[in-house]
Amino acid sequence: MLIENFKRIMQMALLFAVQILFMNHIHLAGYGTPLVYAALLVYFPAGSGRVGVLLWSFVLATLVDMFSGTPGLSAASLLVAAFFQPKLLQRLMPKDAIEDMHPTYATMGRWNHIRYFTMLLFIHHFLFFLLQSFSFYNLVDLSLSASISFGLSWMVIAITELMRK
Amino acid sequence: MNTWLDWFRTHLHWFVFLILEGASLVMLFRFSIFHKSVWTTQTNALAGTVLQWEADWHSYLDLRDINKALVRENLVLQTSNERLRNRIETLTHDTNYVEQLMLNHLEAFKVIPAHVVDNSIRRRDNILTLDKGRLDGVRNEMGVVSGTGIVGIIYEVSDHFSLVLPVLNSRSNISCRLRGTNYFGSLHWKGGNPLDAYIDDIPRHARFRVGDVVETSGYSSVFPAGIFVGRVMQVLNSPDGLSYELKVRLSTDLANLYDVNIIDNPFKEELDSLHAKALPEVKE
Repeated sequence: MLIENFKRIMQMALLFAVQILFMNHIHLAGYGTPLVYAALLVYFPAGSGRVGVLLWSFVLATLVDMFSGTPGLSAASLLVAAFFQPKLLQRLMPKDAIEDMHPTYATMGRWNHIRYFTMLLFIHHFLFFLLQSFSFYNLVDLSLSASISFGLSWMVIAITELMRK
Repeated sequence: MNTWLDWFRTHLHWFVFLILEGASLVMLFRFSIFHKSVWTTQTNALAGTVLQWEADWHSYLDLRDINKALVRENLVLQTSNERLRNRIETLTHDTNYVEQLMLNHLEAFKVIPAHVVDNSIRRRDNILTLDKGRLDGVRNEMGVVSGTGIVGIIYEVSDHFSLVLPVLNSRSNISCRLRGTNYFGSLHWKGGNPLDAYIDDIPRHARFRVGDVVETSGYSSVFPAGIFVGRVMQVLNSPDGLSYELKVRLSTDLANLYDVNIIDNPFKEELDSLHAKALPEVKE
C-alpha cells in the first residue's frame, strides 16, 4: 500500500513535470496543447477505490492548474473523467483478469486498452476545452483545439504505453 | 441507521465527486478573469430580466393608485388653469383699443369692473347677473357697459351680486340719440335677434343716413352722453305714422359677454332729486 502510494506520487511528479516544463509550451498551429497529465487516470489499476481515484486526480489537476494559469479548469474536467474511470475499466477488462489488474496492452488486449484510454482522454479534453471557451460561439475554434490537443495527447500516451510493455 | 451508513458508504464517491467538482468550478469562476466576467455578465443579465419582470408586475399593480392620483392632479391643474386664464383675460383686456376709448370716455365717472356670472339671451325678458354687489359700491339704476357699448341697467342688488336689466329685455328703455344731432328716442327690444333693437320717436324731419352712429343721450342720469350703442340699419315708419322707427344693429354682443363695467355717476342722486322736485310741478 505504501509502495503503491509512493509509486503514484512519483508518477504524478513525473507527469506534472512533463506537463508544466514541456507540454505546456507546445501550441501546435496555435491550437493543440497536449494534456498528458490525464495519463494518471489511465494507470489506476482495477479495484482502486473510486474516492481515491477522485482525490488523486483532483490533487494532480489542481497542481497543474496552479502552474498553467488555468484555475479549476483541469480539475473540473479531469474529475469527470476520474468519476467514470473505474466503471469504464471494469467494463473493458477481460472477465478472467485478476482483481487488481494494471491496465496495459498486455493485460487488457490491444483493442480494449486503446478504447479505454481513448474514451478517458476524450472526456477530459472535450470538457476541458468546452469549459475553457465557455460558449459554442466559436464552434470551429473549439472543435479544432479540442481535437488537435486530443490527438497529440493520444499519440503521446499510446507511444508511452507501447514502450511500457 | 446502519442502512443509512451503508448507503452513504457505497455512494461516497458521489459526494466526493460533487464536492471536488464544485470546488474546481468555484476556483474556475473565482480566479479565471474570463470565466468570472462571463459568469458575472450572465448572472447579471438573468437577474436583470427577473427584476424587470418584478418591476413590470409592480407597476401594473400600482396603476390603479397612479390613475387616482392623476385624476386628482388633473382636477387641480384644470382649476388652476381656469383661474389663470381668467386672470390673463382680466389683465390683458385693457389693451383692447375700443375699450380703452370707452374707459377714457368714462374717466369722469367712477367705474366698477365686474364679470358676468349668469346670462341669457333666448327669453323675451333676459336678465344678467354680475359678481359685484352692494359691498362693492353697486346701487340700483347704475349703467352697465362693456368694451363695445352699453349692456343695461342695474335693477336689483344683493351684498355680492347684482342683476342687470339688459338691452335685451322688453322692459328696458334707454334714451339714445343720433351722433352729431340731438334727435333722441328710446331704445327698446322686441325679441328675436339679440343684435337688433329699435329706436322710436325720431321726428320725420331729422336728417340722417343708414349707418349713422347711435349713442346714449345722457338725458337720464344712468349713462353719460356719447356711449356707443350701435348703428342705424334700417329706417321704418312708426305704427302711428308720425315719426320714424329706426332698426339699430347693436354693437354689443350680449351672447358673448364676460367683462363689463358698472358706471357710478356721482351726480345721479342730485339729478334724481332735482327731477323729483320738478316733475310734480311740470306734470299736470
